[in-house]
Amino acid sequence: MKEIVIISGKGGTGKTSITASFAVLGGKNIVVADCDVDAADMHLLMQPDWEFSEDFYSGVAAEIDQNKCIKCGKCAEVCRFEAIPVIEKKYFVSNLNCEGCGYCSQVCPRDAISMVEQNVGKWFISNTKADNQMVHARLKIGADNSGKLVAKVKKEAKQIAEQNSKDFIIVDGSPGIGCPVVSSLSGTDFVVLVTESSVSGLHDLKRVYELVKKFKIPAGCIINKADINLQVSEEIKAFLKEENVTHLADIPYDETFTEAMTDGKTIVEFSESKLKQILEETWRKVKEISSPS
Amino acid sequence: MKIAFTTKGIQWDSIMDPRFGRTEFIVIYDEEKDELSNIDNRAVEGVAHGAGPETAQKFFDLNPDVLITGNGPGGNAGRVLEQANLKIFVGAGEMTVKEAYKAYQKGELREA
Repeated sequence: MKEIVIISGKGGTGKTSITASFAVLGGKNIVVADCDVDAADMHLLMQPDWEFSEDFYSGVAAEIDQNKCIKCGKCAEVCRFEAIPVIEKKYFVSNLNCEGCGYCSQVCPRDAISMVEQNVGKWFISNTKADNQMVHARLKIGADNSGKLVAKVKKEAKQIAEQNSKDFIIVDGSPGIGCPVVSSLSGTDFVVLVTESSVSGLHDLKRVYELVKKFKIPAGCIINKADINLQVSEEIKAFLKEENVTHLADIPYDETFTEAMTDGKTIVEFSESKLKQILEETWRKVKEISSPS
Repeated sequence: MKIAFTTKGIQWDSIMDPRFGRTEFIVIYDEEKDELSNIDNRAVEGVAHGAGPETAQKFFDLNPDVLITGNGPGGNAGRVLEQANLKIFVGAGEMTVKEAYKAYQKGELREA
C-alpha cells in the first residue's frame, strides 16, 4: 500500500480538482484522506455519506471560574492576544482570541483560571460515490487545522487501507508550508506537486518543495494552466529538471475545471474532454512511479 | 555506539515508524552492551503543533550516535537535531527494526 500526497503550496492551482479526479479514477482500490481541513471542500465533489463521525479535541483555551475570580485584572494585563475583555465588570475569555498559552493561569493569584481542552470540530469516515471510503474533517468557525488533526485523518485512512488491502491512499494535502503540511508529508511515499504557470505559482512551488526535499520523498509535478504564461512554464520545467522532480503533465487552461466544479462533478466524470485523457494518463503515471514493481 | 530508531513497537521485529515527530516509540540499541531499550513517544501524537521539535529534544537525554528513521526530520526538528551531534539515516520507513539495523550496517541507508 502506498500513500500519495497532493500539495500545491499556492491556492487556486487546481489541487483539489485533480485530487478528486484521481480519487474517482482510483475507485475501489484506494482510500481518500482530505487533510486540507482549513477549507475542506473535497466532500463537495466526492458526495460522502458522513457515515461515522467523532468529536475532535485539540489545543487548550483559558476558562475563568467566576466564583474564584477576585477581579484583580492581572490576567487581562499579561494577555498578549487581548483575549480577556471585561464585560459588565467581569473578566471573560474570548475563545476566538485565546491562543492557549496559559500565561493568565500562571499569574492568577486565586488559581481561578484553568486551561481546557477544546472541541474544535469533527472527523468523519464516509462512503463516497466513487465506491471508496474517505476520511475527512470539519472544523468549527475560527478553529485551525493542526498537525495533530492531519495525523489523525491519515492514521484512520491508513488503518482502513491496511484492513481492506487497498493499493493506495490519496491525500489532499494542507496548504502552505506549516505544521499541517509537515504532518501531511510525514511518512508518505510519493508527492504530487500541483502548480500553475504564474510567478506566485513558481514561487510557492519552490517553497513547498524545500520541505519535500527535507523529507527525502520522491516527487512529481503537474503544471496546471500551463499555457497562460509560457515563459514561467519554461522556468518551472527548468526548476523541475534541476531538482530531479518528474514532470508528470502539462494541463492547458480549460474552463471545464470550473464547469465540472459548479456541477458538483470531478473533471473525469464531467465530459469526454482532452482534460480527462490527460488526467487518466497522469494517474497511470503516478501509480507507476509510486509503486515500482 | 548507540543507535536510535523511530518505531511502532519496542521489539527487534517491530515495524519502523517512517515519521520522526509523531513516531510512536524511539527504540535505542546499545551496541557495546547489546541492549535494546525504548521510550514511549505516543504522547506527542496528541500535541497540536510542534511535534518535531518536541521529539527532537528527547535526543539530548538519549544521546545516541545515530538515528535511523523513514523520511527524515522536517525543518524545525532538523535544526534542533543539528545541535545533538548525531548522524541521521533515512529510507528505513517500511522495514522492521532488525532489517533497518542490518541495512544501516551494510551501508544501504541514505545519510540525511
